[in-house]
Amino acid sequence: MNPSNAQVSVCGATLTRRGFVQTGGALLVGFGLVGAKNAGAAASKNSLDASLPESWIEIHPDNTILIRTGKSDFGQSTTFTAYRQIVAEELGARFEDITTVVMGDTDRTPDGSGAFDFLGSGTPNIRKAAAYTHQALLDLASQRLGVPKTSLSTKDGVVSGGGKRATFGDLVKGQQLKLTIPVKGDLTSIMGLMVDGNPPLKPVSQYTVVGKSFRNSVTASKVAAKEQWAVDVRLPGMWHARMVHPATLGSTLVSVGALDRTKFPNAQVIVKGNLVGVAAPSEWEAIRAAQQVAAATKWKEWRGLPGHTRLFDFLKRDADWKTTRVTKSEKSKDDVAPALAGAPRKLNATYQLPFMKHAPMGPTMALADVHKDGSVFIYTHNQNPQALRGEIAQMLSTSPDNVVVRTFSGPGHYGRSNGGNAGAEDEAVLLSKELGRPVRVQWMRPEDFQWSTQSPAALSDVQIGLDAKGRMVAYQIDHYMPAMQDDRPIGAVLAGLPTMPAPNEKAVFIGSTVNDIQDPWIYDGVTNIVERGHGTFQVGQKSSPLAVGLRDHSMRTPGQFQQNFPRELAVSEAAALAGADAIQFRIDHAKQERVVNVLKTVRDASGWQTRATRAQNSGAVLRGQGISLMFRSATYWACVTQIAVTPSTGAIKVEKVTVAVDPGIVVNPMQLKRQVEGGTVMGVSIALLEELQFDESGITSRDWRSYPILKMADLPEIKVVLLHRPEVGTYGGGSEAANALAAPAIAAALFDATGKIARRLPLKPEYVQALLKA
Amino acid sequence: MATILVNGVRREVQAPADTPLLYVLRNDLELSGPQFGCGLAQCGACSILLDGKEVRSCVTPLSAAGSKEITTLEGLPARWAQQKGLSSAEAAKTLHPVQQAWIEEQTPLCGFCQNGMMIKATELLEHNSSPTVAEIKDAFTTSGPSAHLCRCGSYTAIIEAVQRAGREMAKGGNR
Repeated sequence: MNPSNAQVSVCGATLTRRGFVQTGGALLVGFGLVGAKNAGAAASKNSLDASLPESWIEIHPDNTILIRTGKSDFGQSTTFTAYRQIVAEELGARFEDITTVVMGDTDRTPDGSGAFDFLGSGTPNIRKAAAYTHQALLDLASQRLGVPKTSLSTKDGVVSGGGKRATFGDLVKGQQLKLTIPVKGDLTSIMGLMVDGNPPLKPVSQYTVVGKSFRNSVTASKVAAKEQWAVDVRLPGMWHARMVHPATLGSTLVSVGALDRTKFPNAQVIVKGNLVGVAAPSEWEAIRAAQQVAAATKWKEWRGLPGHTRLFDFLKRDADWKTTRVTKSEKSKDDVAPALAGAPRKLNATYQLPFMKHAPMGPTMALADVHKDGSVFIYTHNQNPQALRGEIAQMLSTSPDNVVVRTFSGPGHYGRSNGGNAGAEDEAVLLSKELGRPVRVQWMRPEDFQWSTQSPAALSDVQIGLDAKGRMVAYQIDHYMPAMQDDRPIGAVLAGLPTMPAPNEKAVFIGSTVNDIQDPWIYDGVTNIVERGHGTFQVGQKSSPLAVGLRDHSMRTPGQFQQNFPRELAVSEAAALAGADAIQFRIDHAKQERVVNVLKTVRDASGWQTRATRAQNSGAVLRGQGISLMFRSATYWACVTQIAVTPSTGAIKVEKVTVAVDPGIVVNPMQLKRQVEGGTVMGVSIALLEELQFDESGITSRDWRSYPILKMADLPEIKVVLLHRPEVGTYGGGSEAANALAAPAIAAALFDATGKIARRLPLKPEYVQALLKA
Repeated sequence: MATILVNGVRREVQAPADTPLLYVLRNDLELSGPQFGCGLAQCGACSILLDGKEVRSCVTPLSAAGSKEITTLEGLPARWAQQKGLSSAEAAKTLHPVQQAWIEEQTPLCGFCQNGMMIKATELLEHNSSPTVAEIKDAFTTSGPSAHLCRCGSYTAIIEAVQRAGREMAKGGNR
């Protein structure tokens, strides 16, 4: 048999065996772009050629393995733990064999997409890639060992069967396999490429690597100050820059302040449209020069925002909800008004959530190097480097082929850059191009609050009808939220350069004003439901001469948080109206076993007091309990909070939060526990403290005093219960959702403690005090 | 020109005297442990030890360093080695117990704030190797110019790591 021409079909993929390969015999797996919209793009300059062997997994002659993923780890630990575990499991290797993880670099990873949904509802790209590679290894071993493939198996990096064995390293020496696997999608779109086909996956019953608490391999270098973070990258001849952003979210430039050359002899001012930047060889000179220029720069005045105190009046009365089509969930009936009208007891309420900030610990930054030949290199920290690549190419009216994005560790973005940019990347490119040298743009703390995107505000009208026995017989919810995903790079907008359009009603998915239903209904005992989503433009977008206003971007549990808060708080209110215990009420309306199980688990683990009435409470401190429930990314979540309210001050102390999570298969218990703890802290912070402040011109939250987040002193006891359900067969997501659970449970606990309902966040002392006096 | 003592070594720097130490450390001395978080002494990401006391390098000018000893995250292993009288060979392969505990407990999520958290933990544990949870919360919330903030929410993991590090420091090492 001539190995160079052998072709084998593997589960829909085409496997081509080649003979000796000069590069030394790594088993390289490449993916062809069958059916992909831009079949040429991934095979072009500065991309991994998806049809050639170099893309996903390399098995080396020394038995080490390298994996590549377009997903950037932002503190989830997934690419360094779960992905290695999953690949090791599917290949039949040890976790430790996977010695290298390449992630996020647009010219070194195959698939793109954002730092979200890492586990792909159970079958992420990397799992399929590994499963295909496993088949290829078995084929190679079958030929080498003369043993039928069906008699072979892999374990600890060794293929064995029929009394023979070979290590993966032995198998790949002098060999190269080329797999051509169907891939669909668009590399530089937000979702990137997706591996198609259905390779056989290892039975869960045979797992030995998934389910164990492996450490995150990047932790040690971060802790020892050996990690190269994006903020650490330096290039020869690099200058530092600071931006001078407009005075308001609608201000155009009148005149640029003159640079004081006696104080700043080296600095340069760059102006492009409404984009103003100041660069200098030293960072301190750039900072001070930018401050001096900013103070002398004149902008047109603009007042086009309602201000945060009038926000909900604006959304209710003035926002345009008519232009954008109304969405409905799949489970929605046409009309539940008759059922509501006929219900003897009814809840009719409106819930409000403010704008919130992603608020990364480090302000956004990027280093760009635009070469004379027009090629662009960007060194940054980005949740969707391929999308950024596309956006930069669009801004420069060039091909993505000419743009390379390299991704380094950085502060968590919590969704802010999953559409490709967080600010500064495009500005660094424009300044580098102007100055003909590498330029590092670092936003200062106030800019990061005032010029970045936010998580959109929302309001929801809820009606619940109860029958005479206190059962929910009708449920109607109308969600209102401005457009959530504005991926236009702000520097390009200010400079008047090409970007995708501002959010509009005609856009599909990204940049759409359509408000889809994100929070799946899981009270299956209630079928008489209507869930509608109403969308509108971003606040200020239409009146701002810059077309920006309050730009929004998805934040952890995007959209679903805004929809789950009103639902869960309303269900707790309905339980009280029915004279029922809030957890039992939920169980009584659920049908899915996993929903019931997660509720019973959190009830047992939290010390929940099952009772049909409110807490019997009096004195200087009132205590209460609350519950919330969510289904997200193939994972079931339930959360109980126990709080103490001091009526004299209105202060809420969250004493304990218990979270039960059923993701199906738990890939890495320790990492999942840490993720859930972290999300819970963010959730308590959101519930108690977080609200974007803005006036008629712009954002007035500018630092950690005007946008406080939870401090360690206010940390509650957090108990996490992981429900490992291997029989489910898939692994759900664990980083998101946790941050969305606390708020509705805390508001429900406030009601339990005091009898007063707080239907908007945050639950600041003055709000709580006013409620208690009402 | 100024001479400052950083992680046990005298270093000459050219930066103007009003330059915040953060930029001197990061740009002139290539010490990347301290992070730029706010530039306002409100978050703690840039913390260093100045004669053993935690300060915010983002608002501490170069001129304030004088002859005081600066310890950055990079210098924690040597600081521990010196305190314990370890040989230089031993010191080279030893992390500070705080750093080791941060690994054992898998404390960082994104990790951007953890420089300041480890600096604060070191300051605390050098005075009190068995702090209560309340003492740890106080140290990280009220003892400095501002609370040490973590947006990822790693506070539980930090408390567990501080307690683990304290036990190791009381025992005398983590080797």
